[in-house]
Amino acid sequence: MGESAIVTPAPSGRWPRTVVARETARRGVRSAVLWGVIFGVYVTESATGYEGAYKTSGQRHALAQTLGSDVGISAIIGPASHLDTVAGFVAWRTLGVLTVVGAVWGLLAATRLLRGEEDAGRWELLLAGRTTRRGGAAQALTGLAGCALVLWAITAVIAVAVGRSSSVHIDGRSALFLAVADVSGAAVFLAVGALTSQLAPTRRQAASYAGGVLGVAYALRMVADSGAGLAWLRWASPLGWVEELHPLTAPRPVALVPIVGLIAILTVLTVQLAGGRDLGASTIPDRSRPPTRTMLLSGPTGLTVRLVRPVVIGWVVAIALAGLMLGLIAKAAGRALTGSTAMRKLVSDFGAHGAGATTYLGVAFLMVALLLALIAAGQVGAARGEEAEGKLDHLLVRPVSRTSWLAGRLSVATGALVIAGAVAGVTGWLGAASQDSGIGLTNMVAAGLNLVPPAVLILGVGTLAFGIRPRAASGACYAVLAWSFLVELIGGIVNASHWLLDTSVFHQMAAAPAVAPDWTTNAVLVALGVAAAAIGGIVFRFRDLAGA
Amino acid sequence: MAEPAIHTSGLSKRYADVDALSDLDLDVHQGEVVGYLGPNGSGKTTTLRLLLGLIRPTSGSAEIFGLDCQRRPVEAHRRLAYVAGEANLWPSLTGSETLHLLGRVQGQVDAAYRGELIARFDLDPSKKVRTYSKGNRQKLILIAALMARPDLLLLDEPTSGLDPLMEQAFRHSVHEAKERGQTVFLSSHILSEVEALCDRVGILRNGRLVDMGTLSDMRHLSALTVEATFDGSVPDLSRVPGVSSVEVEGRVVRCQVQGTVEPLLKVLASSGVHELLSREPSLEELFLAHYGRSTDPGTGSLEVPALGG
Ligand SMILES: Nc1ncnc2c1ncn2[C@@H]1O[C@H](COP(=O)(O)OP(=O)(O)O)[C@@H](O)[C@H]1O
Ligand SMILES: [Mg+2]
Repeated sequence: MGESAIVTPAPSGRWPRTVVARETARRGVRSAVLWGVIFGVYVTESATGYEGAYKTSGQRHALAQTLGSDVGISAIIGPASHLDTVAGFVAWRTLGVLTVVGAVWGLLAATRLLRGEEDAGRWELLLAGRTTRRGGAAQALTGLAGCALVLWAITAVIAVAVGRSSSVHIDGRSALFLAVADVSGAAVFLAVGALTSQLAPTRRQAASYAGGVLGVAYALRMVADSGAGLAWLRWASPLGWVEELHPLTAPRPVALVPIVGLIAILTVLTVQLAGGRDLGASTIPDRSRPPTRTMLLSGPTGLTVRLVRPVVIGWVVAIALAGLMLGLIAKAAGRALTGSTAMRKLVSDFGAHGAGATTYLGVAFLMVALLLALIAAGQVGAARGEEAEGKLDHLLVRPVSRTSWLAGRLSVATGALVIAGAVAGVTGWLGAASQDSGIGLTNMVAAGLNLVPPAVLILGVGTLAFGIRPRAASGACYAVLAWSFLVELIGGIVNASHWLLDTSVFHQMAAAPAVAPDWTTNAVLVALGVAAAAIGGIVFRFRDLAGA
Repeated sequence: MAEPAIHTSGLSKRYADVDALSDLDLDVHQGEVVGYLGPNGSGKTTTLRLLLGLIRPTSGSAEIFGLDCQRRPVEAHRRLAYVAGEANLWPSLTGSETLHLLGRVQGQVDAAYRGELIARFDLDPSKKVRTYSKGNRQKLILIAALMARPDLLLLDEPTSGLDPLMEQAFRHSVHEAKERGQTVFLSSHILSEVEALCDRVGILRNGRLVDMGTLSDMRHLSALTVEATFDGSVPDLSRVPGVSSVEVEGRVVRCQVQGTVEPLLKVLASSGVHELLSREPSLEELFLAHYGRSTDPGTGSLEVPALGG
């Protein structure tokens, strides 16, 4: 038969043999740049925040005393040494947070760029006789390395620039090494994700295998750092090796040896496994004949529940863990916060006041709000994906109206947000209660639900974009989200104008549980979201369905 | 008189710089099997997506059983089923889960017939869609459409990716549908398929319907192919009225005759013809006549492989 209906011309360019490497790098570089900037901002914010909050050496000593000796903090973020210097604080805080964030980014990026692209059938086009499976995998890994390099370079440039500022005093070489340490978690898990992409039959499973590895690595590191005399366990976890780098305080480049070694081994395994399987197949067999489950499959909304369930469960578990950890460290972190008058002021700039654990949670729940907003953005992307891939056609050529399909999707997304918010509140309370922090369950659940309205607003804005410019829907959500998050971070550092701050979807959100949630404002946020979604829905009803 | 299954008037769709469909006036009566032929890019899919209300016309209107395709899509869709040439389904569902879902959404399923179709198309519905080949996914959406026994079947190149055996199963199913009085609108670039199945054929070229009629109508209107073998010398036939495309191969002459054959017969009779063959044009030849073989630069989009079936 004449047509195979593939019109996308395989990119060739000047070096057709490196096409997979270039495509992988091209598809990954945008997120590497974005996260490089976020990493850089986080380094900046850690340095300037510390400078602003702990001005005198007395305050710094007090901080080192409280946080430095807290076992919970050490287990969750990592051992805090040298907190009486800006370098020590920056190294501890950025390494503790960015290693894990980078690892999650790395495993998602690698599985998306390898398994995801292969599942979508793009590899078939790219490879098309130009190179072997093995060569293709090697090229894709090269592309991933390019992404890691971009992440490092941007982090490094910002770190060096911050280090030069007169009050911070971090020399260039140390700043470069800090950037290496901050992105090494990402680098390791890019390689882990590349390997699980060979093992698992789908992108989602590849990501969850890699997530499992991260969970084990984190747990090992946690036990090692919990002061139970098991410090040697740190050498059993890649996250422990990253800690052993001790950037800025006592640099130990030798700890790079196991990190680089592991990456090398994973790379070789990836290439080997890729050569030993068929394109689109997996090393671990797919359970291709699961039992038939039709309970949810009686209409479009049931189908949506079935389709988004695994993703939402993954998010809710992540949020539950985040809530639990924030709750666990709330008391100790709160004590450190209130030990500094300047810090108290900084915190009150965020809208939180009071003392101790509630104050800390009020600020820290901004992170959880970001996670909820990410769920919302993901749901908009998923709805658009159904349209772009032509799956929606199968529903809309049957007696299903566009409005009812979209309304169903939005209800499911909203339900997921409410569940996620409530779960964050409950697990935050569990963690805090286990430390006798004296925060009530009702307050914490209210604080969790308080995170939902900004996410609903993102959902609404995304739906509006979905109606008007469907191909830009997902991008619009992430743009609003990234912008809002940056405004929140920077707004805390510089004295940003109210006009600027008001452009953040998070800015109107009360810093619960430090202060009571403002349900009137929340109702306004939700109403705005609903209005935007309604307009988007009406436009969607009357437009052409648009392919990818 | 029942309302037509499909009625369009002046239906047009313009994308930024292409007229994907221009001024389509089409009537498909209930119980008819109508073929819709055109090479890639001629506007077949655009027509079907307009009929389904998936895209909006630039101008004109379309109705399915008298229901406006844009304003009352849900009611119109209760009476039809559609099969696209590209079956992108949910990879995490199994075949039977997909059929269950699509049946429930459609609102009507002939369960016994579904079983028959699964056997006929030799599909293993217990597997996940992810593990299906393109052909298997195509079978799945064919079964999903046929099992609803809708009044109207809209089929857009439905057999792409099917092997010849399954192509037979498909033809059998269309015959069955016709016997039950269902209407079928079949877009295709496979001429033999349309020739075997359809009562009427429309030919689409660059978004315009250039011909529409029964196959016999079309054949009468177009040229007859004549092949004559001579005993002795070959006469010059090119000046005979109505004759064109004369090809000489030794003592054999092939030519086309438009209109009456009388002048040609006179010439042949006086020139010692030894053997005479004549036949009606195949659909392929009709089709090529509309596209001027590949000599017309305006039809660059016509690729001969697309006609090979
Ligand atoms: N979404 C679109 N945007 C722009 N042009 C389109 C779009 N869809 C179809 N076309 C153009 O319209 C013409 C008809 O396409 P189509 O109906 O898909 O043809 P067929 O189904 O006969 O192969 C082609 O030139 C095609 O490129
Ligand atoms: Mg088409």
